[in-house]
This record gives sequence, structure tokens and C-alpha cells, in this order.
Amino acid sequence: MSHAPLLEVENLGKRFGGVQAVLGLSFSVRPGEILGVIGPNGSGKTTTFNLITGFYRPDHGRVRFAGEDITGQKPHEICARGICRTFQIAKPFRDLTVFRNVLMGALLRHPNPTAAAVRVEELLRLVGLEGRAHTEAGSLTTIDQRRLEVARALGTEPRLLLLDETMAGLTPTEMGEAIRLIGRLRDRGLTVVVVEHVMRAVMSLSDRIIVLDQGTKIAEGQPKEISSDPRVIQAYLGAEYRHA
Amino acid sequence: MKAALSPENYVPAAILLFLMVLPHLLPNPFYIHILVMMAIFVVLGQAWNLIGGYGGQLSLGHAAFFGTGAYVSTLLVNWYGLSPWITLWLGGLCALLLSWPIGIICFRLQGPYFAIATIGLAETLRLLVLHFREITNGAQGLTVPFKGNAPWLLQFESKFPYYYIALLLAVASVLVTRRMEQARLGHYLVAIGQNQDAAEALGINSSRAKARALALSAFITGVAGVFYAQYTYVIHPDSVFGLGLSVQIALVAIVGGVGTILGPAIGAVIMESFIQSTQVVFAGQYPGLELMVYGGLLVAVILWRPRGVFPWVARLYGWVLSRLPALGAATP
Amino acid sequence: MDFTTFLQGLLTGLLMSGIYALVAIGLTLIFGVVRIVNFAQGEFVMLGMYATYWLWKLWGIDPYLSLLITMPLLFLFGVLVQHFLFRPILQAPDLAQIFMTVGLSVVLMNAALFFFTADFRSVKTVYSEWTLRVGGITLPVPRLFAFAGALLLAGLLALFLLRTDVGKALRAVAQDREVSMLLGINPDRMYLLAVGLGAALSGAAGGLIVPFFYVFPTVGVIFVLIAFVVVILGTLGSIEGALLASLIVGVAESLGILFAGADLGLVVVFAILVATLVFKPSGLRGQA
Repeated sequence: MSHAPLLEVENLGKRFGGVQAVLGLSFSVRPGEILGVIGPNGSGKTTTFNLITGFYRPDHGRVRFAGEDITGQKPHEICARGICRTFQIAKPFRDLTVFRNVLMGALLRHPNPTAAAVRVEELLRLVGLEGRAHTEAGSLTTIDQRRLEVARALGTEPRLLLLDETMAGLTPTEMGEAIRLIGRLRDRGLTVVVVEHVMRAVMSLSDRIIVLDQGTKIAEGQPKEISSDPRVIQAYLGAEYRHA
Repeated sequence: MKAALSPENYVPAAILLFLMVLPHLLPNPFYIHILVMMAIFVVLGQAWNLIGGYGGQLSLGHAAFFGTGAYVSTLLVNWYGLSPWITLWLGGLCALLLSWPIGIICFRLQGPYFAIATIGLAETLRLLVLHFREITNGAQGLTVPFKGNAPWLLQFESKFPYYYIALLLAVASVLVTRRMEQARLGHYLVAIGQNQDAAEALGINSSRAKARALALSAFITGVAGVFYAQYTYVIHPDSVFGLGLSVQIALVAIVGGVGTILGPAIGAVIMESFIQSTQVVFAGQYPGLELMVYGGLLVAVILWRPRGVFPWVARLYGWVLSRLPALGAATP
Repeated sequence: MDFTTFLQGLLTGLLMSGIYALVAIGLTLIFGVVRIVNFAQGEFVMLGMYATYWLWKLWGIDPYLSLLITMPLLFLFGVLVQHFLFRPILQAPDLAQIFMTVGLSVVLMNAALFFFTADFRSVKTVYSEWTLRVGGITLPVPRLFAFAGALLLAGLLALFLLRTDVGKALRAVAQDREVSMLLGINPDRMYLLAVGLGAALSGAAGGLIVPFFYVFPTVGVIFVLIAFVVVILGTLGSIEGALLASLIVGVAESLGILFAGADLGLVVVFAILVATLVFKPSGLRGQA
């Protein structure tokens, strides 16, 4: 593990009115790994994504990507640098076909629509949506909307992909498919950060996990270490695993 | 053996041919005048549609760009004797330069700011033109001295040449729309209209895309303004910078169907026929009545036909095509 | 330019700002509650002016007294507008909403032109020419009355919004539509109330200026443009912001007229708009 980190987050902080959403958060992502980010609801996972991808401007702290400071840049600039994200609540272009949705992502690196269209075909096959190319995105099922978001994001040819609760609301079978898909992405050389509420998925998927609680990092390590860490169990796992 | 000529190809060609001979079938120049005005509004509606329809950014001040084209050109023609064939481009360029800062300022923001800022821009220009009388001749407006038949000065005694130039501009504005729709910019504008956050997350610079659409729109509107000044020979601040013109430009696009390739053109034909026929019927006896009717029409379209008449026309066109045979079919 | 002239300009602008505030409050109230940007707000002013004019012309009713008639009339008109024109497009895209109000504005303006002609009309009352002289400064009494009347109405509105249950419900809807519904507030009725109040206040502004301002069909355009600048400068939806901003805009316009020329007052107002959009688009009361 001698690689320089691809993404470095340093002492990040963001406050909304009276709520400290993220405070003094630091972590890094190594090239080629899958990093899981877990934590109870409201622990600051999605806010962290929004801070990294420029949707929110941090009150303090730095975000560095591939050695360059990207703090405070606009979402489209950050995407152009090679970080792409999906949304917790999928945001498809509802009235457009699946094909055209993915085309919007592919146009970033292939400005000519005809050239971009070739990429779109590949991406639809990769996520398993090739049969739905001409369906309106708004009429897709939940899992297909998630697939669409991933395909669209991959269209921008990111080096780092941020997936925000991609597993939420999926059946166990669907979840298995999603995990396999993310594995395939990593095999293609992509670095992935997954924010998840669903524990089982993260445990089997991630190389490394960080745990957030109330906007700060309370633990970091291999999935095995995390599942036995008493702080984590107290903050988060306890309740979930008792029911499981 | 020649390939079959399908209705998709020969019907547009036939329509174009019809438009070419149309002025020769009309009994007097007044009707040609109506056609020229119609064509100017086709250009204006198409231009507005680039930013208002595809860009989803409502301009209520397109007269600013139209008037800029008209005034810049007329001043250059009068001062330096420049040919309008050159000022046609310069007028468009000035309109474009004017639009750029407005785009930069407003497209960072989401809300009604752009609509209000564009009204403000057009009103400011109108007031400034009224104020600086020494240059602009104030409320009296400017005239282009008539030199008789002078093609180099874009002046003709007959209305036919104006008609063909206007037709050319109108067809060009439709082709520009089609080109933009198929290019990356057109796709991006549609994406932004659907969901701006998702578009930004995919690397789409939404404010730049809108600013580009506005620049293109302003350029075309400015060119139309130059042509209008050359065609009518006289321009006034109230007629070329007025709020009434801005609303009418937008109305043409809305009645026709925003965000469609041909909607505004169809809207222009409908609205101009309507305007000209009411002018004939009422002969200006009842001031306000016409505009009252247009305003009412606007309200009615928003309430009952928010997508304009284009879907109807498109369906009708499709039906006609399906009924027509292929020509010169290579049947054995 | 001597100091007295400057002071005169300053005070003239200050007095006019009360009227701008009233129009802007109507606009921002409708925006805050119903979320519709009403380009026909100026026509509410115009209707208030014509109503006042005709009440005076036909029956000799004093302009200030006729507020008691014109305000309820305009309220009713606002309610009808909300019910028949705004309600069907509440969920429609911005484009449709703005165009609905623009269409309404065009209809009303030209209806006035059609029925009342383009003539500039004015109301002559005994106090029309009264002035108050303080030092070298001349203050026309009707303008003082208009300012006082505007402040009084704005104060009454504030009391209504802060102290009454209905007023609190209205603010709740402006704050959060869903939550207010959970509290048992019927948003549709609050929308009717908001547009009614917005129209009545703008109509009152029209009535208050009739003693010193010409009445003509397109008079509303001036007021709606100024009101837009005021509500953006004062932050969309904020009534306190509109009050403060109207003061700035009124004085700036008046000084603009003084220094740049009578026909450039509005240009100064638009310069304020551009400056706001560049430096603080969220307005004086906005965050960040």
C-alpha cells in the first residue's frame, strides 16, 4: 500500500443553522480500493458527499483529489476532474429515455453525440439496462433507476465514483446483483466510495470502512475489525444486529 | 433506376417551393408585407426559443437585442455609410456582447431573476436611447435614407427581394435550432431543464450552457433587428425596445410550442395572421382591443394548451405524410 | 447643486418610497405565500387608480375616503384572479406561471386603454396644491398624506400578520406548505387571502397617489418594475426587507432624477438591480 491517496479529506466541517452536520472529518481513499462509509441516520454521510462533490461549500477544511486542492469548486468542475457521484434519492432525467440519460454523462468526454452514443451502448450492457434503452427513465423500477444513475455516472469516465445509498430499498437478490456490479467496476480499475445504511452489503463489499457518528469519524479499519469495535457497536451496530 | 422519393423528403421540398412562389400568387404588396413580418417573427420566435424553450430561461426583454441590432446598424449605416450586409453581422454581434454579462450574472441564480433582469435591460436601453437625443434622435427615432434600388445597401423598390431575404433568415433560424438540438449544447440544455443538480453532477456547466444559448439567441435577434430597420426604414425606441415587442416575441414561441424545432415558426404564422387580420377588421379604431385579445390568448394557451399548437400540427403532418405515396418508386 | 436641492430630492424620494413599499409588499406577499411572481402587480395599482378616479369623477368621492371602497373591490378582484387564473397553474413550471401573470397584465392594461382611452387623467382636490415649506424645502401635502397612509397600511398589515390567528396561519403557509397543512391550515384559503391582500394593498397605493399622479393605462409598468427591484434587493418573500429596500430605491431614484435627468430615474433603479444580482443576489435579508 505505497500508493499516494487518490482523495484526501482534511478536517472538514459544515454547519446548517444550529446543526453541526460534519465536524473535523479527515480520511483518505487509496487508488483502486472500495471504501465503505457507514453510520446511523444523520451522521453526516450524505453531507460529506455533498461537500466533496461541491454541492455544499465547507465552512472549513480541505478536499484534495489526485494531489490537487478542489475545495469549493463547482460540481461540474469536480466531475470534470474525475469524481462522479450518484444521489441517495435517484435523480434521473425523468422524461428522457434511458439511452438519452446515459448519453448526457458520456457527452462530457465525447462531445460529438454520435461518438458518445457508442459509449452509451457499452455502459447499458455493463449495468444490464440494454433492454430498457428506449424506456422513459421516470417509469423505471427503483433498482433500474439506480443502475441508470451508475451508468450515467460511469459515462463521465470518473477515476473515483461516489455511490450514495445505492442499496437502499433493494431486495436481497437485487442487492447481490448490485454488489457484483460494484465489484466489476473495481476490477476495471475504478476507485469507489460507498455510503450505505445497509450493513451486510458494506461488510461484504468494502476493503476498508470508516464509521461516522454525529459528523465525526469514530472508527476506521477492515470490515472484521469494524464489526467487533465496541464504539461502533454502541453507536450503530448494536441495535441493528440485535434485530438481525 | 432511381431511388424512391419518400414523402419525408418531398413534402418539405414542396413546402419550400410553395413559399418561394407564394408572393407571386398574391394580389398586392400589402400581402407580401404581411409575409415579411411573419418571417421576421419566425426568426424572433425561433431565437427566443433557444433560451426560453430549450434553455428554460424566460426572457421578457428580447426587444433589447432586437433594438440593439436595429440601432447599431442604422447608426453605422448613417454615420459611416457601411453596407447593411456588414452591419447585419455587427448588429448581431453587439446584441451577443450585450447578452453575455446578463447571462453570467443571472444564470448563477435560480428563480425569476433572469426574466426581471431582461425587462430591466430593455427598459434601460429604451430610456437611454430616449435620453441621448444628440446621438439617437430621441423619441423621433432614426431613418435610413432611401436611395432607390441599391442591393449593396439592402434597399429595393420592390418587396420581393425583402421577402426572399426574410425567408432565407427564417429557414436559417429553423436550421440553427435543429443544429443546436442535435449538438451537445442542445442535449445539455434539455438535461438542465430536467434536473439541474443531476446535470451538474455529470459535469455539465449549467450556467455556461445557458449563457451560450442566450448568446446565440441574442445574435439571431440582433440580426433580425438589423433586417427590420432596413426593411421599414424607420425605427423608434418604443417600437424596437418596447415591452410589447418582447412579450410578442415570447408569445409567438409559446403559442407555437416551446422547446420544439418548428413550434415558434408555426406560432409566428398563426399570430401574425391573427394580428394582421384584426388590424384590417378594426383598422385601429379600438386601441387596446387587439393586445387585450392577445393577452387573453396567452392566458388561454397557458391554461388549456401549455404545450402550444405544435403537437397538433406535428400529428397532422405525420398523418399527411402517411397518406402520401413515395414518388418515382422503383417498382418492377 | 446646493444642499437644499439635495435635501429636497432626498425627501421627495423618501416620501415616494412609502408607496413603493406598499406595492412591493403586495408583490412579495403573493410570492412568499403562493410562490407566484406576479407581473400583473402594477395593474393592481392601475386599477386602484382608475377606481379612485372614477369614484371622484362620477360621485365626487374624496380619494382617501374611496380607499374604503377600492380596497375591498381590489381584494375581491385578487381572490378571483387567484381562484380562476393562479390556482390551476400552481404546480406548473415557472415559465407558465410567469406567462400567466404577464398575460393578465397585458389584458388589464389594454382593457384600460380600450375602456378609458390613453388620456392622462388627474384628480383635483382642495388639498392638491397645498404645500408645506420647511426652510428652503417644499413638501407637497398630498405626498405627505400618501406616505403616512402607506405607513399606516403597512403597520396594519404587520399587526394582522403578527397578532391574529389568520395572520399567523398565513405566515405558516409562507414558511412551509406541508407543515401548515399538518397543522390543519387550508392552504387554498390562505392563497386566496394572500392574493386578495396583495391586490388590495397595491390598489391602495394607487388610490393614495391619485391626488398627485397622472392616471393612464400603462402607469402600472413603472410600479411593477420598481417593485421587482425592491423585492429582490429586500430578499424575495421578506416584508421587512421590502420596507428597507423601498427606502433605498425611492431615494436612489429621486437622486438619480436630480443628478442624471428626469428620464433616467428608472435607469438608476435598474443599476441597483444589477448591483444586487452581482454582489448579493439573496438580497439584504438573505443568508450568505
